[in-house]
Amino acid sequence: MSKAATFLNSQVGRKIATGVTGLGLVLFIIVHLLGNLAYFAGPEAINTYSYTLHQLGPMLWIVRLGLLAFFVYHAWLGLSIWLERRRARPEKYEVYATRGGASRQSWSSNSMILTGILLLLFVITHLNTFAFYDFATITHGGVEMHDVHARLTEVFLHPLYTVYYVVIMVLLGMHLRHGVWSAFQSLGWMSRKTNPIIYSIAFVLALIIAIGFIGLPISIYFQLV
Amino acid sequence: MTIHLKIWRQKDSNTPGRLVDYTLDDVNPDMSFLEMLDWLNERLMNEGKEPVEFDHDCREGICGSCNLVLNGMAHGPYEATAVCQLHMRKYKDGDTIVVEPWRAKAFPMIKDLVVDRSAFDRIMAAGGYISVNTGAPADANAIPVDKYNADLAFDYAACIGCGACVAACPNSSASLFTGAKISQLAHLPQGNPERKRRVVRMVDQMAEEGFGDCSNYAECEAVCPAEISITSIAKMRREYFNALSEIE
Ligand code: HEM
Ligand code: SF4
Ligand code: FES
Repeated sequence: MSKAATFLNSQVGRKIATGVTGLGLVLFIIVHLLGNLAYFAGPEAINTYSYTLHQLGPMLWIVRLGLLAFFVYHAWLGLSIWLERRRARPEKYEVYATRGGASRQSWSSNSMILTGILLLLFVITHLNTFAFYDFATITHGGVEMHDVHARLTEVFLHPLYTVYYVVIMVLLGMHLRHGVWSAFQSLGWMSRKTNPIIYSIAFVLALIIAIGFIGLPISIYFQLV
Repeated sequence: MTIHLKIWRQKDSNTPGRLVDYTLDDVNPDMSFLEMLDWLNERLMNEGKEPVEFDHDCREGICGSCNLVLNGMAHGPYEATAVCQLHMRKYKDGDTIVVEPWRAKAFPMIKDLVVDRSAFDRIMAAGGYISVNTGAPADANAIPVDKYNADLAFDYAACIGCGACVAACPNSSASLFTGAKISQLAHLPQGNPERKRRVVRMVDQMAEEGFGDCSNYAECEAVCPAEISITSIAKMRREYFNALSEIE
């Protein structure tokens, strides 16, 4: 095996890769969130934002392929860590309990595989709803572009879709509550002093991301914008 | 005091085990948990029954031999306490305690509460050593170590190799043990000659033995009787990254 393959297959390398891909996806999600906020500035703002992105051409495809690779690799690592865990303890405890204290076992950390798989399924339906959709067009300032604003409004006026979306964003928040802190530990960026600080920052960041994403569908559904 | 015990009994690795109920109605609160088991075993032997097999040696929290999971927690419910240092006065009259062995594929069952922890020895043999010249002993303090590194190395050296970190980990990972050994030597000049080779080999051996991956649950730190911090695991990851040149 090559050096890189040996590194990535080691228990430490796998964690570093989970952390790098996880943080990469978090960066993307933050950019995505900021993009969504353009909806609040009106149809022209969000439509132009989407139009500008599409003008990037090959660059856009490079970013898309990179994202896809990160996403698939991250999901595969998460899945294989979980499979490994099942293999490493063939006979379960009759009684198992967490000691608390320094332990980071929580709803969030104990459901990473579940929230992860649901996010994976969500992303597929999400791409189908928005990315591969045949948008109507609209003209802003003499330029013809996709009417993303109309599509968003249409989708989030459906109660079922709105509820589905909000639930998934809560799960995303849960994934990131453990995930963001965990990634720093995985990359070795942790000391006794920074451990509690990063754990708190991860909570705040997860909360901001979840609330940020939930804001748009709720505002549309209750016609606040 | 009266204590109800549900103890894992298993003849050997080929025979399925099960929890067996025992009630002791005259437990002295000043007994340690292991003394209570001695007390139980004495009775069982007097009745001509097979005593409960369990590991122990120093009974003062320094050897790392004792290994019991009590009501689902490795070494029982108190932090920084090996189970040999746990006293019955911490329990209430009439309490029920489920007693199980460490459970991990890498720690195969031997009998009852005794498992084979030699996987840890093989991780140590893979790199947990330093090279020294033989002959007359070197002068103490001949190699200066600054206080900062000496303190950190000492904290990590406190690991007694008990395996509670593996037992408590939902993934059965040995990262805390291995991280402690690697970090201890990484903070000392004596550890420098084999520094890179050490981390690569020990991490490899960990996987080889069948321990799981680490998901950063930090349950290990919570149960560790020596209070080893998960910063040792972060340190192990930095060390591994810096050892890229040694990876084949
Ligand atoms: C929206 C996309 C996602 C983001 C932003 C994200 C983010 C993260 C982050 C930051 C971590 C911490 C990495 C570490 O501990 O080193 C993580 C861990 C994890 N992710 Fe994701 N993730 C996403 C999607 C997924 C998907 C689709 C799956 C699985 C199908 C998944 C499964 C997992 C698992 C199981 C872990 C824990 C790994 C472990 O046990 O150490 N994630 N994620
Ligand atoms: S790190 Fe702590 S729990 Fe793990 S073997 Fe060492 S002393 Fe025991
Ligand atoms: S018997 Fe030695 S540490 Fe418990």
